[in-house]
Amino acid sequence: MAQLVETAKELLKSGKVSYIIGYTAHGDNGTKPFIARTEADAEKLVFNHHCVNNLSVYINKADIPENGNIGIIAKGCDIRTITMLVQENQIKREHIYIIGVNCNGQVKDIGMNWEKENVAQKCALCEVRTPALYDVLVGDLEDFEKPEPTTMQLIQQIEAMTPKERWAYWQEQFDKCIKCYACRQACPLCYCDQCIVDKNEPQWIETSPTSRGNLSWNIIRALHQSGRCVGCGECSRVCPMGIPIGILNVKMNMISMRDFGFKPGMNINESTLVGSYNFTEKENFIR
Amino acid sequence: MNEYIITSTNINQLAGELLNEGYNVVAEAEDGTAFIAVAAGSNVILNPFGKPTNLSPKQYIFPKTETLFYYKKSQTDVEIIDPTGLGHKTVIFGTKPCDSAANKILAKVFNWDYKDEFFNKRVENTVVIGLKCGYRDAQCFCTSVGLSPESGEGSDVFLTPLENGDYLAQTITEKGAKFVEEHKKMFDAISADKNKPVPMPEAPAKKFDAAKVKVWLDSNFENEFWDGLGDLCLGCAQCAYVCPTCHCFDIVDENFDYTSGRRVKNWDCCQFTMFTKHASGHNPRSVQSDRFRQRVNHKFKYYPDRFDMILCTGCGRCSRGCGVGMDISEIVQAIDNLK
Repeated sequence: MAQLVETAKELLKSGKVSYIIGYTAHGDNGTKPFIARTEADAEKLVFNHHCVNNLSVYINKADIPENGNIGIIAKGCDIRTITMLVQENQIKREHIYIIGVNCNGQVKDIGMNWEKENVAQKCALCEVRTPALYDVLVGDLEDFEKPEPTTMQLIQQIEAMTPKERWAYWQEQFDKCIKCYACRQACPLCYCDQCIVDKNEPQWIETSPTSRGNLSWNIIRALHQSGRCVGCGECSRVCPMGIPIGILNVKMNMISMRDFGFKPGMNINESTLVGSYNFTEKENFIR
Repeated sequence: MNEYIITSTNINQLAGELLNEGYNVVAEAEDGTAFIAVAAGSNVILNPFGKPTNLSPKQYIFPKTETLFYYKKSQTDVEIIDPTGLGHKTVIFGTKPCDSAANKILAKVFNWDYKDEFFNKRVENTVVIGLKCGYRDAQCFCTSVGLSPESGEGSDVFLTPLENGDYLAQTITEKGAKFVEEHKKMFDAISADKNKPVPMPEAPAKKFDAAKVKVWLDSNFENEFWDGLGDLCLGCAQCAYVCPTCHCFDIVDENFDYTSGRRVKNWDCCQFTMFTKHASGHNPRSVQSDRFRQRVNHKFKYYPDRFDMILCTGCGRCSRGCGVGMDISEIVQAIDNLK
């Protein structure tokens, strides 16, 4: 992808950014996150169907150099999280140089072949193949076959359950949790300096990966994301136990859309759902 | 070592019988995420050519959470109550050599100065029915840490898949021999026309020379190699928790109410920021690269120093499961290539 490499080289050369967070080829059939600090590094940047990671997770983890900005290669869905980070005052828009890419679909996980059944679920209903926000846009849109929306089907299945069945379903799922916190660490919007599960004076949440401790963690994680999660799916992807935790957020976003007409990360000039209030908002819970 | 034949039907029968005898029976889950309890009437999954489960079977020897004791306080006294069910008889079916080998490695640290009765009881009461491995991918590196996909090391009974679908069962330990003896009717004698083993792919090529790597680690705690190594690591515990040999734990008290509770031992991980954070706020491993250096050194230097064993079986789980493509074998290989 010559256009991407050239853009990156130019940005590093001109000093507009001090480094660029991007993807580089890794293994037979994949990519991994990569930091390009020099023009020679920039030669190693790639963008294709295997750029699964939401790199905006690194924005909060990186030390932003005082006299320089961070460059980031980002898909439309990842840019929605950058938008959220700006709206939630975690970064200054002018400190981030966004190299937006026209995205032609991504595989579910690193190293998978580009085939219809391996296309990530978030691509099924994607509205931001051309990002809503960027400083420079690279790549061209090409058609690709959308996957079956199995996530939505699973949500419908769970919605059709009785509360008792639903409880049993999630108990079984959460019992698998080993509390590795990969979901938290991979999430760009889980940025608390000290996560509530790491607070021990007082200990709000049991640290043990027992049924009770796991339920506390997973529900709190999901609730802290409502109206904020952009559905990048990284939490579900990195879960070693295959727990579909991301669908809790998808469901809550369906509710925030239904009740407040709000979709996170779509418009940088809009206020966030949890950070704002207006008189037309429904208050169905007070009756 | 004795050799027998066991048919797939008899493996399932054996599992059923063991459940009747009150054993926990454990094998791979259908979705490949972990080893789970086999329910009565369901089949034992043996997966010699499949990818190792995401989570190693370590949890049956060293559970993710384990009660050390319960306590009840009165005005004048504290009553300590032992947990029940410790060291329940368990049979694990189908662990690959990279998993079976782990228990002996872990036994070193759990019997170092303090003998961990929880660990030892579980090991004592567990029969490991290992399985020859025919799975190879870019993350496999058992041969680099002195193991082999065809090794019975760590198994009590070792199974080799045969071309007719049966398995050759070799007793490796006395415990294994006794186990087979007790369930003799499930095992057939080897006949002259015994079936051929299924051919296995070539063992994974050696990725690095662990002895040479250790020499470098011995004198390079401070080295620019480590700088920035952990920049892209997200600092979760996936690698440690799926690992068959990582064994750090945290001990906490959990109160049920004002007068009772339990003391519990939970998995912990050196990649967490909190792992080494002092009460003062100081953190001696302040950046992720320091923490990743610890991971490499613990596995390839400290453990060999202390116990003459590498704290790694080369199963590749940590790398396969890493969300950001951190690959310990690539990193150790890079160290090997330094000079």
